[in-house]
Amino acid sequence: MRKPRGVIYGVDERPPAAVIALSALQHVGVMAIFLIYPVLIGREAGGGPDIIGNLVSISLIVLAVGTVLQALPRGPVGSGFLCQPVPTAIYLVPSLLAARTGGLPLVFGMTIFAGLVEMALSRALRALRPLFPPEVAGLVVALIGVATGVVAIRIALGVGAQNAADSSDMIAAAVTLATMVALNVWTGGALRLSCVLIGMIAGYATAAALGSLGAAGWQTLSATPWFAVPRLNELGWNFDAALIVPFAVAAVAAILKTVGNVTTSQKLNDADWVRPDMTSISRGVLADGLATTLAGAAGTSGVNSASGNVGLANATGVLSRHVAYGVAAILLVLAIFPKLGVVFFVMPGSVAGTSLLFAGAFIFVNGLEIMTSRLLDARKTFVIGFAFMGGLAVDLLPHAFDGAPGWLKPLLGSSLVLGPVSALLLNAVFRLGIRNVQKLMVDPAQPDGAAIEQFMETHGASWGARREVIDRATFNLTQSIETIVESCDPQGPLEIEATFDEFNLDLRVSYVGPPIELPERRPSNEEIMESEDGQRKLAGFMLRRHADRVAATHRAGRSTILFHFDH
Amino acid sequence: MELNEQQAGGVTVLQVKGRIDSTTAPMLGERLTAMLGAAKARVVVDFSQLDYISSAGFRILLLAAKRADQTTSKLVLCGVSGKVRQLFDLGGFLDLFTIAPTREEGIAAAG
Repeated sequence: MRKPRGVIYGVDERPPAAVIALSALQHVGVMAIFLIYPVLIGREAGGGPDIIGNLVSISLIVLAVGTVLQALPRGPVGSGFLCQPVPTAIYLVPSLLAARTGGLPLVFGMTIFAGLVEMALSRALRALRPLFPPEVAGLVVALIGVATGVVAIRIALGVGAQNAADSSDMIAAAVTLATMVALNVWTGGALRLSCVLIGMIAGYATAAALGSLGAAGWQTLSATPWFAVPRLNELGWNFDAALIVPFAVAAVAAILKTVGNVTTSQKLNDADWVRPDMTSISRGVLADGLATTLAGAAGTSGVNSASGNVGLANATGVLSRHVAYGVAAILLVLAIFPKLGVVFFVMPGSVAGTSLLFAGAFIFVNGLEIMTSRLLDARKTFVIGFAFMGGLAVDLLPHAFDGAPGWLKPLLGSSLVLGPVSALLLNAVFRLGIRNVQKLMVDPAQPDGAAIEQFMETHGASWGARREVIDRATFNLTQSIETIVESCDPQGPLEIEATFDEFNLDLRVSYVGPPIELPERRPSNEEIMESEDGQRKLAGFMLRRHADRVAATHRAGRSTILFHFDH
Repeated sequence: MELNEQQAGGVTVLQVKGRIDSTTAPMLGERLTAMLGAAKARVVVDFSQLDYISSAGFRILLLAAKRADQTTSKLVLCGVSGKVRQLFDLGGFLDLFTIAPTREEGIAAAG
């Protein structure tokens, strides 16, 4: 694994303790924004401050355990990356439904169920791999970036809140974002590493100076005890078969989001990344499901891998898994010393929202990069385009699906459910009719180079192959046909067969006639200029070098050349 | 393949568009031979719109470079990028020619 440019500490590197502490603090700052979800669910169930405070403390413990589980480099659980969980909007809609109909015990019971669904499906991910091609994983990551951005702007501007952002809030937001971006772009070292934390502090200071921190925050701070022992599972669990579908759909969306986040983490750590590593993804989804199961068992709402934190790690260049252990330690301290945590929980929306917006930009661009790493034909364009626009519709037009039947509602409530599930279904539908073996006959009297290129281009796009591999294969096919036609006097048509799977692209060129030469040594410039034989040797040399493996056979007058390309 | 010739301050720029293979390479060869026939000719070949070049095309370029040496002319290539550049690299041709990134730099190098 080659470390990409811009990464300061890769996943396996151990940064100095000060860097771990600073990075971990920033991560906790971004994670704390999402603690609003258990608070909302607790309120929906009619819980008082004591119950809700305990929900937050339990969430912190679960997040600490989940962060470590996800970072584990060995064993069956954990992607091995800094890819910690947070309370998630994905489980918010079904959890609010459960809170309304059966109170918190039903939320906890159904959360256990959803976690178990994730865990069970994590074992089948390898077999389901064709359903998660890179362009679908990239789409999910891009949608996560958009959804993160939408939530961020909502929080920053107070959209839908009791008090919309005023000019003081907007100034605080601008200072926060400008500080983070300026430090990230125009500085290096410690300043870039801590750009989010410094931005948060600058935003906090601006908000305090402009008097927009609000009295409620100070009241919460004074009312919160210094020390409290979290009470695990104080309310018990319940189960309702009517909620199986919404929680199962949310679990599938959570899996897709984790697939996207772990894929991004893999790509961020490896300059030579070409495809998702399903072993690490499968272990990551198992860790995510286990964390959600633990959340339900311990008495809080579901969690899911945090895209904002993956974006933060990307922005700062600190991807080390050792940061995860620092994050877990801070979360545990906050769980038992609640007063310390209030500084994060009462963070002004202007500061919290812009921090999230900063991370969202990185996630979105990562998604685009993953999507466009493959050739895209009309089928894949529809998969990506429709699913992306469907997801956007939920965020942009929240009442667009008000008239939909009740059983469809769980699918239509969140862009992170509708988008990924649509992509999954569309991808499955559009896979119909794609053959992995394609054949072409070439008339040696009229070899059409452009048509041969089109053959590779069209099928490369329908397979979702990488551009670089298709370019190499196209050259080998065109150059070999040119050489055969020019020098081998083939009798009858040339038979071309292209076979693709995610790991291999094989080209087989077969014809009646003598074999072409595939020398390992480049002919000298003089040899090339002297005769067309030198030119043919050059062609053979380039064909051999361009493929990852070549083989040539000649039997009963028929020659066959095999070009293999690793994919 | 399409060939377009332009003059720029005493330098002849030949833009090659499309594909250079065994069918089209002779046409390019004839044109380059004619252009480099005069002593001290200055020629830039712009490959920015080239899609494909086969071994036949590389042979023609080698012969053109030899011709340029014989007539003390200057041959510069420009716009060699993407997959075409990869083929130059693959065949070991990147160091054999004077290659400028852009047409303007190519004209400057030839002039």
